[in-house]
Amino acid sequence: MIIQCKETESLLSSYLENELSPDDTERVARHLAVCPHCLALKEKLEEILLKLADLQEEVPFFLKNRLFNIPEISEKKKSASIIYFPKWLAAAVGTVILFLNLFYFTNMFPLANREMHSLVGSIETFVVQTGGWFEKIKESKDLLLFTFFNKKTSASKDDKLSTDFNLNKSLSKGGNNG
Amino acid sequence: MDITEILSRCKNGDREAWNMLINSYSKAVYNIALNFFADRDIAADVTQDIFLKVYHNLEKFKEEKNFTAWLFTISRNYCIDYWRKNKKYLMNNQELDEKVSVPAPTPEDNLVRESEISRLRKKIAQLEPDLRVILILRDIQDLSYQEIASRFSIPEGTVKSRINRARLKLAQSFALGES
Repeated sequence: MIIQCKETESLLSSYLENELSPDDTERVARHLAVCPHCLALKEKLEEILLKLADLQEEVPFFLKNRLFNIPEISEKKKSASIIYFPKWLAAAVGTVILFLNLFYFTNMFPLANREMHSLVGSIETFVVQTGGWFEKIKESKDLLLFTFFNKKTSASKDDKLSTDFNLNKSLSKGGNNG
Repeated sequence: MDITEILSRCKNGDREAWNMLINSYSKAVYNIALNFFADRDIAADVTQDIFLKVYHNLEKFKEEKNFTAWLFTISRNYCIDYWRKNKKYLMNNQELDEKVSVPAPTPEDNLVRESEISRLRKKIAQLEPDLRVILILRDIQDLSYQEIASRFSIPEGTVKSRINRARLKLAQSFALGES
């Protein structure tokens, strides 16, 4: 049975690799003998298959070194990623700050400018007050510590005095007896 | 030392075992990437990314599985993903190369050979990604149809028809280029 170009094309690879049945091999061979187009295609395929085998290359030296160092690079990255701050968050915060500066330093939008100044004013007041509270807390802490330690020292002094007094008392008693 | 032992030592952080793994498999992965993208720089970057992926996923790899099949699947998927993400740039690059940098044959044999190889690589890089990977594995890396079929879990018949399609497309594009 005669086969057409399309069928020959679909069988060409298997024909070149000797994977066809004897019947199919003969049919393809007969078609190739009479069809210059398919014959040219078959010759081109043979040529390409020979060249493809040449395409293997050795791994470049620099790449092998990079591959050998992957464990080290990964460990470094792992330790660096413990402190992680997303870039998008930093960019968003930066943009908001820049945007707010626009209102604060220009009078393009008077209302926004006034609001911003009053906001900054209240932040300043808050900071000052907080600073005051901190000072107060610190002072009261010092006072508390001073009182506590002072009390403790004076108490121990009293204890010592009373012990000495009792000791002297007993000694003098013993002396009288003896 | 067999691959199971190399892998279990790699999982325990053994650097020597990792180097052995690289020595055994880097050539195959590099050649897949090189012939997929027809560009040595991209191939080097892609090979590094693939082995980074392998390193990070070693813990997940189960010993009863076939490591080569796993590695080839990662390589194939990564190459196709990379191609899809950078398709525009890569295709522009190829067109530019086609127009500008195919050197005219020179008398020096090695230069002629180099230019033929780079021409062939560029033609391969113009095939559809799925055809490309299978052609590389069969005709460049010399894997059998059965091996390719089992590595990508596709029927052997599909592998054969894809290989045939890829080879015919290559031959036709060369024939067109010459006419």
